[in-house]
Amino acid sequence: MQEQIREWLEQEKVDIFLGYKKIQGHPLPHCFTKDNLDETDDLIVGNARYSLEKMATKIAAEHPELKIGLLVRDCNQRALNVLYVWNQLRPDNIETISVNCCPSKLKEHGDCSYLEPEKAAPLKMMIGIDNNMDVEAAEEFGQEDRYKRWMYEFQKCLKCYGCRDICPVCFCKECSLEHTDLIATGSVPPEIPIFHLVRAVHMGGRCIDCGLCEDACPVDISLRLLYRKVNDIVSDVFDYKTGTSADQSPFNMLGEEVTLELKPI
Amino acid sequence: MDFKIIPSVCSYCGTGCGVLFQVMDGRLVDTLPMKTHPVNEGKLCIKGWNLHEHVVSDKRLTSPMLKKNGHLQEASWDDAIQTTVEKLKAIIEAHGPDSVGVLASAKITNEENYLVQKFARAVIGTNNVDHCARL
Ligand code: SF4
Ligand code: SF4
Ligand code: SF4
Ligand code: SF4
Repeated sequence: MQEQIREWLEQEKVDIFLGYKKIQGHPLPHCFTKDNLDETDDLIVGNARYSLEKMATKIAAEHPELKIGLLVRDCNQRALNVLYVWNQLRPDNIETISVNCCPSKLKEHGDCSYLEPEKAAPLKMMIGIDNNMDVEAAEEFGQEDRYKRWMYEFQKCLKCYGCRDICPVCFCKECSLEHTDLIATGSVPPEIPIFHLVRAVHMGGRCIDCGLCEDACPVDISLRLLYRKVNDIVSDVFDYKTGTSADQSPFNMLGEEVTLELKPI
Repeated sequence: MDFKIIPSVCSYCGTGCGVLFQVMDGRLVDTLPMKTHPVNEGKLCIKGWNLHEHVVSDKRLTSPMLKKNGHLQEASWDDAIQTTVEKLKAIIEAHGPDSVGVLASAKITNEENYLVQKFARAVIGTNNVDHCARL
């Protein structure tokens, strides 16, 4: 892999390559360039997962012609597809090398930080929403109980905006979560449940279920589950599986015609 | 095109979360939590997430300021320290050492904080020492 990346840089197939390197004992994202070719020997995959595609998006915004190579896990690839759909990156300018991710009992090794999700504490199991639950299990709670459990989760929110800041597909110049007409300011927790529901609605057709938001949430709110539910609806109504291809999204109305049709409910 | 990721430690509070600075073409453009840092394990509070903004803010003070004719003006360290000494001496003489209080900081080292309390107790002569978080 190192050799291939070295070749790509040498032959100018890519101008920069985003991968990982061990720095001060930590596997950190690193930008490899032609000026420092020997450094490619130190390229690692690393078991900590960062959104390299979000970095690529930021770089491309300032250097639109730059050819960017990056290491991709499955989740990075899905995010890239969404970024192509939303014209944040140009597929012609991106080259990827896939890595062995998704640790599973079925294989010896997988490079990912999302190994075994932590087991929820007893209090959270009793009155909140367990992060490891699937949508179906969460829907088994009665409506009132379910509402109370979600509100318990939301009221922990510190309004750090980490879920948005780390998300590979949150790229808006102006974010609704900071819009004073939509969400009142000046208190923690923020206005709930609207703060979390606004973001959940925006993640319809956009969230690629990477779980980085949940990883970054200091208070362990079950964000991934919430967005999974939203995207189940997107899948049921529009037959659109977010991130699986770089095809037009039902929510992206730019272009000549809308190609996806509403499915009868 | 130059893009670097630089590991550092958040200087906003005593927790000391691990952060990564993203530097593009010599400009600090963004902050990320360090996922493998033992203190914060990939999480930050809102202050940590926005570190880059306070580093590059044009409101940031880069030199001491002295009030002259009712306006704050940039001054040299020598002038600033000299003025502070004169004023503190005058206040202590007129109202006693307990008229002065000293606030230590989360952003300086343990040893510097030790010196701060030593300065308050041994030099000024007061026990009025507290932490900046109680400001
Ligand atoms: S939360 Fe919504 S408005 Fe804010 S950046 Fe994400 S998609 Fe955009
Ligand atoms: S799982 Fe979270 S971070 Fe990942 S795409 Fe969805 S909302 Fe963004
Ligand atoms: S990461 Fe968690 S605590 Fe921070 S704003 Fe998002 S939901 Fe709230
Ligand atoms: S990120 Fe927040 S909690 Fe962590 S050191 Fe900075 S100010 Fe303190």
